[in-house]
Amino acid sequence: MTNPILTIKNLTKKYGDNVVFHDINLTVNEGDTIVIIGPSGTGKSTLLRCINLLTRADEGQVWLDDKEITAKDCDEDVVRQHIGMVFQNFLLFNHLTALDNVLLGLTKVKHMKPEEAKVKALMELERVGLSDRAGHYPGQLSGGQQQRVAIARALAMDPRIMLFDEPTSALDPELIGEVSDRIVFLEKGSIVEEGTPDELFYHPQHERTREFLWKITELYGKKETGKIDG
Amino acid sequence: MKRLILLVVVLTLTLAIVGCASSTDHLAAIKDAGKLVVGTSADYPPFEYVDEVGNTTGFDVELMNEIGKRMGVTVEWTDMPFDSLIAAVQEGKIDMTIACMNYDEERDKTVDFSDAYYTSEDALVVLEGFTGDLTDPMNMANYTVGAQSGTTQDGWITDNLVTPGLLPEDKFMRYERVDQVALDLQAGRIDVMMSDYVPAQAIVDQFGGMKVVYHGVLSTGPLNIVIPDGDKNLQAELNRIIKELQAEGFIDDLAVKYFSE
Amino acid sequence: MDVARFLQYIALGTVYTVGVTLIALPSGLILGTLFALLNVYSGKVVKWFTSLYSTMMRGIPPIVLLFILYFIVSGNINLSPFWAGSISLGIVSSAYQMEIIRGAILSVSGGQMMAARAIGMSKSQAIRNVIFPQTLRLAIPPWSNEAAIVIKDSSLVYALGVPEILRRAQLISASTQQPFLAYAAAAAIYFILVFVTNRLLDALERRLRIPANP
Ligand SMILES: Nc1ncnc2c1ncn2[C@@H]1O[C@H](COP(=O)(O)OP(=O)(O)O)[C@@H](O)[C@H]1O
Ligand SMILES: [Mg+2]
Repeated sequence: MTNPILTIKNLTKKYGDNVVFHDINLTVNEGDTIVIIGPSGTGKSTLLRCINLLTRADEGQVWLDDKEITAKDCDEDVVRQHIGMVFQNFLLFNHLTALDNVLLGLTKVKHMKPEEAKVKALMELERVGLSDRAGHYPGQLSGGQQQRVAIARALAMDPRIMLFDEPTSALDPELIGEVSDRIVFLEKGSIVEEGTPDELFYHPQHERTREFLWKITELYGKKETGKIDG
Repeated sequence: MKRLILLVVVLTLTLAIVGCASSTDHLAAIKDAGKLVVGTSADYPPFEYVDEVGNTTGFDVELMNEIGKRMGVTVEWTDMPFDSLIAAVQEGKIDMTIACMNYDEERDKTVDFSDAYYTSEDALVVLEGFTGDLTDPMNMANYTVGAQSGTTQDGWITDNLVTPGLLPEDKFMRYERVDQVALDLQAGRIDVMMSDYVPAQAIVDQFGGMKVVYHGVLSTGPLNIVIPDGDKNLQAELNRIIKELQAEGFIDDLAVKYFSE
Repeated sequence: MDVARFLQYIALGTVYTVGVTLIALPSGLILGTLFALLNVYSGKVVKWFTSLYSTMMRGIPPIVLLFILYFIVSGNINLSPFWAGSISLGIVSSAYQMEIIRGAILSVSGGQMMAARAIGMSKSQAIRNVIFPQTLRLAIPPWSNEAAIVIKDSSLVYALGVPEILRRAQLISASTQQPFLAYAAAAAIYFILVFVTNRLLDALERRLRIPANP
């Protein structure tokens, strides 16, 4: 038995009268890759932002390991170090080179010594295959390269979990099935159904899931997906 | 000579907020420091102006330097626009101001005056070819007139000609400085310039092609040094020295030197 | 009349003009930046106050403000007209610089703040390391404009008795009856000062520009 690394309980988020999602319950075990799929505007991005506390949920709790991070006395800045996030549009620091993008968190947040930090940052860039682009600014990199720098920046912090917001616009459902342990189908702010890729893709229990899958097969490759990678 | 305008109102309001006045004896403090800070507006030759090496000089300046010498202190000159001078005296930024100013009831409420050190007159200046009649200054009503804004001449024209409706508002031009009035007279934009007699004389000499058609005491008169309100010791000291200088003929000599009377 | 001497006298006013500018601009930048940060990143009340400050300061003619500030500043502390005038001008300029910095902060996308927070930076770390370096680059061109305005507005301190270029031109104009010469000299000096400043800031902006593919 593995331990839950992330536990979400009754999470609800509203913007004024607009209930983005309500009563979300989700448990993620160490080593699991969870993919959240659902139509645009369902609240996938908002859910991810609520997990790393960039946005505050209105109700419910989130635990990272056995610590409740939504608790009042919990230091957000410390929590975020343990939760890596790769944004949909990457959000690299525009004024810094690829290397400095990765370095900044190491020196300013982890307070590593400059030489040590540099070795680690270069290693992270190496991991995403971009060591030859270390001196390039975001504006000089392609979208894919920017995404990899963003991944290196997040991984460099040695997070417990990684959140990716729509990393896979180019991935087809097959591929999603291959990388994920579990798929969660989110619609209109609540979880409709969840299961293994095989269960969800080939034996969906709900009519709404079937409809959605049918639509994305039509629009092959244009579907929206969010992913939680534990 | 000159009269203060709106800015003083603004300044006085501000001063009221800020509050002021120290009560130690000012004269003693000046003598202790060995230094007298005097403000003037050095754009009014020949009373006060800068010479070719940038020194402040003129009738008022040389007189004040002599007064300082007799008080046993050196005079430190601070130049500022005319409109700022009274406020600066009230605020204690300067010890006193000598700037071709004359006694004025309004001003007397907020500052004090020395005895007169000289008596000045007004002049009406026109171009050489002028054929009109200005033997009575009220005849200015028939012409386009110019004066330096904020001066006693400005006040005289406003009170005696413009307000009674004799001179239309658009036929009276106010300028920031007296040399600008002269330039517009030369250019024919105005027919008559009204100013202090002595600077008028200097302008006529410098510009050429102009003449003084009238001079006499209208708006102006005796010139006084302006000191902080209620500063009796300083006032007495100044009056004593002024009397001394008048008796010795020093001031008359200065007048000849600067006004070539 | 010795023209060279008079011109030299006017030119010496440059020392004061440059001095006033060198005090007013940075003090306005510090104040303006502080207010801009408060305006963008603090609560409603502070936001309201800083907005009010900006609106009021920019709604009053600089010369009027200068007088009021001068007598408040130098009424309480014994400052020379030079220092009091420079600081007052800095306060006037701070409202304009606040708007420049505020605009620049707002045009750095909100996402940059989010990305910085996401790696565990505190708000102030994010402002210092991510928002600010980008803000300052964006602010250089409008700031260059403000620098030119402050150089020209520095002539206002003549009203407080600081013998800068404009005041000297007035004095020379009065004593020589040659206004054109005096003011042309003043205009030429102001022009050179503004021109050089703008060029230097242009160069700085080019140097700091973030490289990107065309
Ligand atoms: N900052 C915000 N203020 C108000 N409404 C928001 C905000 N962010 C997201 N929303 C709303 O929340 C809903 C979910 O958005 P989002 O999480 O981006 O959906 P998804 O990522 O699934 O496409 C949308 O209706 C969106 O308009
Ligand atoms: Mg989204």
